[in-house]
Amino acid sequence: MSEVGKRETFTIPIGPQHPALKEPEHFLISVDGEIVTDVVVRLGYAHRGIEKAVESRTWVQSLYMLERICGICSHIHAMAFCLGVEQLAGVEIPPRAQAIRVIVAEIERIHSHLLWLGVSAHEAGFDTLFMYSWRDREKIMDLLEGLSGNRVNYSVNVLGGVKYDIDGAQETAIREAISFLEERTRHYLEVVTKDALFLQRTRGIGVMTRSQAEVLGTVGPTARASNVYRDIRVEAPYAVYDKYPARIILDNRGDLEARFFVRITELFESYRLIMEILETLPDGDLSTRIPRRINAGETVSRVEAPRGELFYFIKSNGSDIPERIRARTPTICNMMSVVKLLVGHQLADVPMMLAGIDPCFSCNDRMVVLNRGRNKERLLTWEALRQYGIDYYKRRSA
Amino acid sequence: MGSTTIKDVLLSLIALLIFPGGLFLLFVGLAYEWIDRKLLARMQNRVGPRWFQPLADTIKLLAKEEVVPDAVDASLFIGLPIVALAGVLTAAIYMPFPGLPPVGSFPGDLIVTVFLLSLVTICLGLAGANTLDRFSLVGATRALTQLFAYEAPFLLALLGPAFVAGSWEISEIIGYTDGRWLLITQPFGFIVAVIGLIGKLEIPPLDAPEAETEIVAGALTEYSGRGLALFRLGKGVALVLGLTLIAAFYLGGVATPLLFLAKTLVLLLVIVGIHALFTRLRIDQTVGLWWRYGTLLVLVQWLGIIIWQGVMI
Repeated sequence: MSEVGKRETFTIPIGPQHPALKEPEHFLISVDGEIVTDVVVRLGYAHRGIEKAVESRTWVQSLYMLERICGICSHIHAMAFCLGVEQLAGVEIPPRAQAIRVIVAEIERIHSHLLWLGVSAHEAGFDTLFMYSWRDREKIMDLLEGLSGNRVNYSVNVLGGVKYDIDGAQETAIREAISFLEERTRHYLEVVTKDALFLQRTRGIGVMTRSQAEVLGTVGPTARASNVYRDIRVEAPYAVYDKYPARIILDNRGDLEARFFVRITELFESYRLIMEILETLPDGDLSTRIPRRINAGETVSRVEAPRGELFYFIKSNGSDIPERIRARTPTICNMMSVVKLLVGHQLADVPMMLAGIDPCFSCNDRMVVLNRGRNKERLLTWEALRQYGIDYYKRRSA
Repeated sequence: MGSTTIKDVLLSLIALLIFPGGLFLLFVGLAYEWIDRKLLARMQNRVGPRWFQPLADTIKLLAKEEVVPDAVDASLFIGLPIVALAGVLTAAIYMPFPGLPPVGSFPGDLIVTVFLLSLVTICLGLAGANTLDRFSLVGATRALTQLFAYEAPFLLALLGPAFVAGSWEISEIIGYTDGRWLLITQPFGFIVAVIGLIGKLEIPPLDAPEAETEIVAGALTEYSGRGLALFRLGKGVALVLGLTLIAAFYLGGVATPLLFLAKTLVLLLVIVGIHALFTRLRIDQTVGLWWRYGTLLVLVQWLGIIIWQGVMI
């Protein structure tokens, strides 16, 4: 409610600090009793200025910077960046490196989806499922640690290839972990599609029709749960996805149950892809040389992150420092669907519906300059900006 | 004459303040809270707290500064937790706790006991409504809504055994139920009583009033320090007393401390199992559950009892 309403509204602030949110963002929920009447979102609490920061770092340094946009899908960010830069440089990376990139990307998808399953179950108050799915996720974390030495920012990519090879022992470990997880995932699929009490919280909640999903510009599993045929792995195959096609999992119900179904069924798809690629892992080098200065030009690199389409715009001026890099993360595309769909639902459904798009807030916080015809831009020094902040909050509290 | 009076008074005081009421009850409440948490943790594949964790939590909370927020009635804010704890401790007087005959008793004390157990929820609701915090207000509304939903079926479920025993006095009812497993003859009443206790104590899946992912800590959001510690103690005691009441009425009585321990722990296991297995219900679903199924089940139970008694006569 931007204006002072005629009728007083009762607002509940979800965030910036709230147990339902794992990262700081602000959702101001107006309620009438338990029914949500209006939602105001304020993003930007986790803005870190990474896009600006890479403009003063070399291409190689930027890779490590961009990897840290997201803690959950760090690999896919680096991969999108590498694919784009390699395209600009006109470098073809060895097939083994491409395959390993995709294997790690799919392992990352598994880890992200299992994490989401746990978080969503926790939002619904189903902590047992939360604990179990996170226990099983540890297998994947162990795999990533075994492959790269790190659990979170595994940093598998380098410009021109990958850093880590998959040897025989690691291959066995991956196969074992995946056959274990396949069985567990079957169980979870049964839980979320058959448990009557859990279905009470998911079936028919937050229904997004196909046309709504298209108008609101949703991506990834959120869109696929509304029967939108959208997956970059299939629509514009990159790396080795043309040789190992992924199958798109669709559901036409569009509610929370459909999102559970789509994400968990996608896990089987990832298991299958990893197994297939491991079967026919090509031999060869892990990386190829890439020039320090990248040819001038601009390119767009799109990949399918666990949450949906990840879009990179990369512009080079021919030096060893990028001119401009823009990353559009899937959460920002899906955010509007939450705001739109929350109205009319119960307060108790808010955390579940928020979690339903698998939000990653620190990924989506960008600075945008809105120039409403005033054509007035100001550059502030750090000192001036600090003083501005102090004055702003003084004015507000007065 | 004078010495016996003093002795009586002393014995009463000991019964009220040290054993079996008062201090002993508080510690049993903490012990049961630990068992609850540990069992749940093991079911959820976690390690769970060490045995003294609830006690340590309580001591820490009691030692902390209590922050009284602006714009609340300070006396209510401080007084309500005390009233809540006092209420449940008073309820213990009429209970066969721990497997001993009740300390006090009078005709109709069952109703008083059930009311005293509800006092925790009422105080919780008032405490939430007393503050201006928005989470507290929603939590308080939900707590009181839930109270109105489960209270009638819960009371009716406890009156089933009272009806067949022909008395509303707890000591007489437990005399009747001793050795008689009313669980077999009144299964619906038992189910409603157990789920009623879950709702009363706001244990998941009926924990909508304090759903942390929606409204932080519900009515207790503004409480820290002593007030929170007293509410937690009150809930622990209410858990023990509720288990005692159901075990005594439905599970063939708690004539000795050993039987008390065994039967209440089995009941606790059932409750923890329900906690681990189910998803939290929304408040509208909770209310629907009680008025659509809970009340109906109890009424069917009552009809059965009345018809059965008619046949017997």
